[in-house]
Amino acid sequence: MPGATLSRWTMSYFAAALICLIAGLAMTASGFGYPSVPMNDPASLVVVHLIAIGWLAQLFAGSLLQFVPVIASRQLRSPHLALPILLSAMAGLLLLLTGFMGLADVAPLWTWMLPAGGILLTCSFTSLCWTVVGTLLPARPYTLPAKFVILGCLPLIGAALVGLLFTLPLSGLTGDPYLIDLVLAAGPSHAYLGLVGWMTITAIGVSYRLLAMFLLSPEKTRRTSRTVGWLMAGALAVVICGIVLDGTGSPAGWPLPAAIAAAGLAVLLYALDIRWIYRERKRKAVELNVIASLVAVGMLVACFVLFAASILIGNLAGMVMPVAYLFVFGWLTGLGLGQLYKIVAFMTWLEFYGPVLGRMAVPRVQELVNERRGAIWFSLYFGATAAATVALILDMPDMFRWITIAQLAAVGALVFEFVQTRRLAMAPAATRLPAGIAARRLFLPSFNGRSS
Amino acid sequence: MTQEFKELDVRPILRNGGEPFEAIMTAVGALQPGQGLKLFAPFKPQPLYRVMDAKGFDHDVVELDGGDFEVRFTPRLEEAVALSENAVSPELWAEPSVELDLSDLDPPEPMQRILAEAETLGAGEVIFAVLAREPVFLFPELTRRGHQWVGNFDRDGSAYRIMIRVGTGAVNA
Repeated sequence: MPGATLSRWTMSYFAAALICLIAGLAMTASGFGYPSVPMNDPASLVVVHLIAIGWLAQLFAGSLLQFVPVIASRQLRSPHLALPILLSAMAGLLLLLTGFMGLADVAPLWTWMLPAGGILLTCSFTSLCWTVVGTLLPARPYTLPAKFVILGCLPLIGAALVGLLFTLPLSGLTGDPYLIDLVLAAGPSHAYLGLVGWMTITAIGVSYRLLAMFLLSPEKTRRTSRTVGWLMAGALAVVICGIVLDGTGSPAGWPLPAAIAAAGLAVLLYALDIRWIYRERKRKAVELNVIASLVAVGMLVACFVLFAASILIGNLAGMVMPVAYLFVFGWLTGLGLGQLYKIVAFMTWLEFYGPVLGRMAVPRVQELVNERRGAIWFSLYFGATAAATVALILDMPDMFRWITIAQLAAVGALVFEFVQTRRLAMAPAATRLPAGIAARRLFLPSFNGRSS
Repeated sequence: MTQEFKELDVRPILRNGGEPFEAIMTAVGALQPGQGLKLFAPFKPQPLYRVMDAKGFDHDVVELDGGDFEVRFTPRLEEAVALSENAVSPELWAEPSVELDLSDLDPPEPMQRILAEAETLGAGEVIFAVLAREPVFLFPELTRRGHQWVGNFDRDGSAYRIMIRVGTGAVNA
């Protein structure tokens, strides 16, 4: 059947993701993990994976389950996998984090925990790719966003498998010298596969569709957009070569910087595309979610400017963490929160008002949010993120922790806004639904068969 | 996209005094969607052009070295039409009683307008609407309410056209 319905479990993904984001920020603010201890300390790995898998990956997974059917204009392949994918990711993450805490001597360590977590996470991500690719592949001809999303699935599987291999020597299950070399050398490539390979490629692809849609801009496949895809694919190939070299005991220094340089070029072209989409828009008033996304794209460009500058001044080692931080919190998290602001409102509107459209007065989607208040929280969030990056560059970990509290406050306020939207608290009185309808479905699906 | 062709050489059939029309039609019937037909013949098969045109194929002719001809029949790119699973014989629907140009509205307003319009019409009446995008969330809601629809993009993909036949009794969830 053509068309898309509401993804039944996407709100649950978002709820899980936001809880992980808040927990991660709270840990950092309390001095647990980086920058209070070095990056390769197990405590830092707890925070990093809580943010990367708990927050970002679940945010992306939930969004993909909703938007892949929109991109393909067909129903999701195996929609019944949505809940198992979420549950196995959460269980796998919990095992992984407990394992890292064991390594950090915060919790007892059982050898099987890390590999078991890795296996569950790999199963979860593989199943996600199965539904995503399985939905997109039959929907020919492929649109640009579809190609990007399909391309992004490859590094996702790669990141999961490399991570799974890491767990074997880390847990002490094997002393294989090749695997130990891999752990020592391929950590950054593992991060690249997940954060750039999967998330950034996917985010770029989906944003071509979403931003054009929100701005009423013509949707064209520009040559620059295709070049972005090819550069990203080339960079991925280089990273994978690098990982193979790491694993065969002859690590080389060049693959990752080369890949980041290619990805940086891709990002500049992407920023040009976004500029075109923005300029050709038919809709003059720009909503908060688009502004937040544009700020996030700006921070993405800033990442690569900082990266290039650090190579020029010869201080790459000192800048890696600030750049990675800005990438995760300025670009991926900024974009994610910005889009959530719209997606939550839209899905809520469709869920509660879709069945009565045309039969009673309904609010506009924009009336389910309070943009004036939201703008304050987004300003606080992006301001804190920029300040935190500066604190990392200047090596001021205590200042960084104070700023993280501001960031945490901004995210907490945004979560409150999402909850208000879900509860239809801001809907005009004339369009209110009978009390209790929305309150019961904050982040769990209704079971009346409307969504899939 | 490169055009794929199935090849058919009717020269041997003609040389043997046979009639190639049936072989050609069999080959046309066996073409995959989007596939073209490359025909080799000792003369220009003029009568065939009209038959193939009616079947949605354009043709171009290349004269080969030996005086024979290669005729390429290329399927015209028709935009695929999507229709609801409850749609019955759209070609027999009434003329639209309402025409809506919704191409300048932000999503999801077009969806709202169409559903509101459908509420005001009687069963069997037809709405024609033009939108800027494919209304993916509208489709299931129309079906759920018992309306039938067919729709497709225009040739350059810049507008989506949809015809909706209002159903008798809404299937309320």
